[in-house]
Amino acid sequence: MKKLGAAILGGILLAGPALAMAAESARQTRLAIVPGGSVNVVNRYGSVTLHPGSPHQLVVNATTHSDKVEVDANSVPDGKRIDIRTHALPQQRPTSSESSVDYDIAIPSGVSVTITTATAPITVDNIGGDLSLSSDTGLVTVKNAVNTHLEVRGVAAPVVLSDVTGQVEVTSSGGNVQLTHVSGPRVRISTTSGNITYHGDFSTGGSYLLSTHSGNIDVTLPEKASVDLSAQSLKGSVENDYPLQAKSHMTFVPDEGRSFAGTSNSGSSSVELESFSGRIRVKKQ
Amino acid sequence: MNCTQFQEVLPHIIESGGNADQETHLKTCRECGDLVRDLRYIADQARLLLPMRDPNPRVWNNIQQSLAREGLVPEGRMSRPGHILKNSSPQKKNWTPLGLAVAAIAVLALAVLLVNYHSTNSTTQKNLAAPAADQSATTASNAEDQMLISQISQQDADVAKAYQTSLEEVNSYISDAQKAVVDDPADSAAQQHLQDAFQQKAMLYQMATARTLE
Amino acid sequence: MTQAKKIIASGLSEAEAIVRAKGGDTAAFEGLYGLHKRRVYSLCLRMTGNTAEAEDLTQEAFLQLYRKIATFRGESAFSTWLHRLAVNVVLMHLRKKGLPEVSLDEALEPQHEDGPKKDIGARDNVLAGSIDRVNLERAIESLPPGYRIIFVLHDVEGYEHNEIAEMMGCSIGNSKSQLHKARMKLRDLLKLSRAEKATRR
Repeated sequence: MKKLGAAILGGILLAGPALAMAAESARQTRLAIVPGGSVNVVNRYGSVTLHPGSPHQLVVNATTHSDKVEVDANSVPDGKRIDIRTHALPQQRPTSSESSVDYDIAIPSGVSVTITTATAPITVDNIGGDLSLSSDTGLVTVKNAVNTHLEVRGVAAPVVLSDVTGQVEVTSSGGNVQLTHVSGPRVRISTTSGNITYHGDFSTGGSYLLSTHSGNIDVTLPEKASVDLSAQSLKGSVENDYPLQAKSHMTFVPDEGRSFAGTSNSGSSSVELESFSGRIRVKKQ
Repeated sequence: MNCTQFQEVLPHIIESGGNADQETHLKTCRECGDLVRDLRYIADQARLLLPMRDPNPRVWNNIQQSLAREGLVPEGRMSRPGHILKNSSPQKKNWTPLGLAVAAIAVLALAVLLVNYHSTNSTTQKNLAAPAADQSATTASNAEDQMLISQISQQDADVAKAYQTSLEEVNSYISDAQKAVVDDPADSAAQQHLQDAFQQKAMLYQMATARTLE
Repeated sequence: MTQAKKIIASGLSEAEAIVRAKGGDTAAFEGLYGLHKRRVYSLCLRMTGNTAEAEDLTQEAFLQLYRKIATFRGESAFSTWLHRLAVNVVLMHLRKKGLPEVSLDEALEPQHEDGPKKDIGARDNVLAGSIDRVNLERAIESLPPGYRIIFVLHDVEGYEHNEIAEMMGCSIGNSKSQLHKARMKLRDLLKLSRAEKATRR
């Protein structure tokens, strides 16, 4: 198929002559990006770390561990989109360790980020805005993310979020999800077998749903938390060690050992804890 | 920057543009400027080249004869219109990235149908046909799961194991949730679990699709 | 009137012909051949530089189309899918023949013997505006096979370097380097051809 016109993506190959012979090689590249722009990183093996950087500029430090892989960074001329991809040289048939690349990326604020890995852990520190993180089995860590719109997906990826505010959606089928001081208008956490633990106060009058099939849900919250809380485990068990006032209107009939509901303080945040066959425990901090 | 240095990096910057030094050299050096102009002109002209000419008619004759030799088409049939011939060679199902995505959407659509079906079904009468329909859907789904795992294992055996475990767990989730909804169609929590289960499965398919597109 | 034209004239769209061809309708398949033969043949001819090879490869591409059309799911345009199939047929043939493999080292190391290009002389030595397509086609045909393949795939057919790298089993850097060499070679050939014409006048 003929694709007319000049290429819209300029390619800058990071793997230059320096990589031809060395087993491990680090290289830095700076790419211009405008506020509101987007960055996409695809790196199966190794690691990806994101932290704040200078305005209008993405600084990518990439460390390769063999000469069987190269880093391909493409940016559009108007600075609105950057794509960074690890490209394994197919004829070389690299192993996963030979394909691994460690990225350390400094990113300006106001830029949306999408990261996809297979086993590479993803660490995002002090970055807000739109974050979409996806890993098959790599640990996903997000800390100090303010006013974020965060989406995390994993097959068996453990997820650790701390000091995160905003809209949060985590779906990790088999990975455990650990939340510390995570709050916002909408927080959705869903696993199939992964355990979910929450430490925090469910603040800002938001809507929180923590749901799992066979995992356990453990929630620890301070006495000052203002929540309208319900917990149901269809085939598992529930335990409550937190002072709740009975509610006048309920969507289900509480069942000793299987469900309970109540409010604390003004009940401003809605908190629903649902496990199909796991154990739900709510404790006072 | 001199011409040697500039022309060394030229292959990698001719489309994307270079750094400040390279751009300055390009603007100030007549020879390199002419070179880049020529190379870009050649590329532009190449883009305008049209398909040249038709192949010799013997190509089509050879195609007909080859298909006849393979038994795919009886000799002489190719030029007779309107005949529907069954292709005798079995077509192997090949999972393309779109195929996986379609499967993901189908999984989610099935979820919606099942949830709606069960929520409108009377609690006084369990429809015996429903489990049978669910079973055939499960059988088809297992075949697709195996294809998905097989595709991923070609890239990474360890990650494929993670997908396999998760698919087994999510299928178990779907099965449990379906039973709960059948037992009590009015149970909104059970319905929510069924929907969550299918969404989990769709997510696994979406992630697998994204892998194959990398 | 050939079967292909009948199909078009009767209002049968390409999409309908594809559906029928999937079901084994040979007239519909002939219609598809008629619609796409020129493009496929031109691609084969440009990549091989040889008429006989191009005819054989066109035949092989359409035979593969007949065998595989049932797997076409419409996720891309049919012409794109067929085009990709034809490229793979050509590349496989060239590999069997001993496609010149280009190593990463060769692609990255500077060609010292070439040196920087310096055209001594007037500005009228630039090519711009002076190439006609017949000469360009001839020049492409004269390229060494390795250069020709990448030039045709990138500049003529519009594939991106990452696609070419995947098809050829080389690196993106390698693809860029070979394309550059192809263009440089074409530049030399076209200037030579223009100089020869000027001498004959």
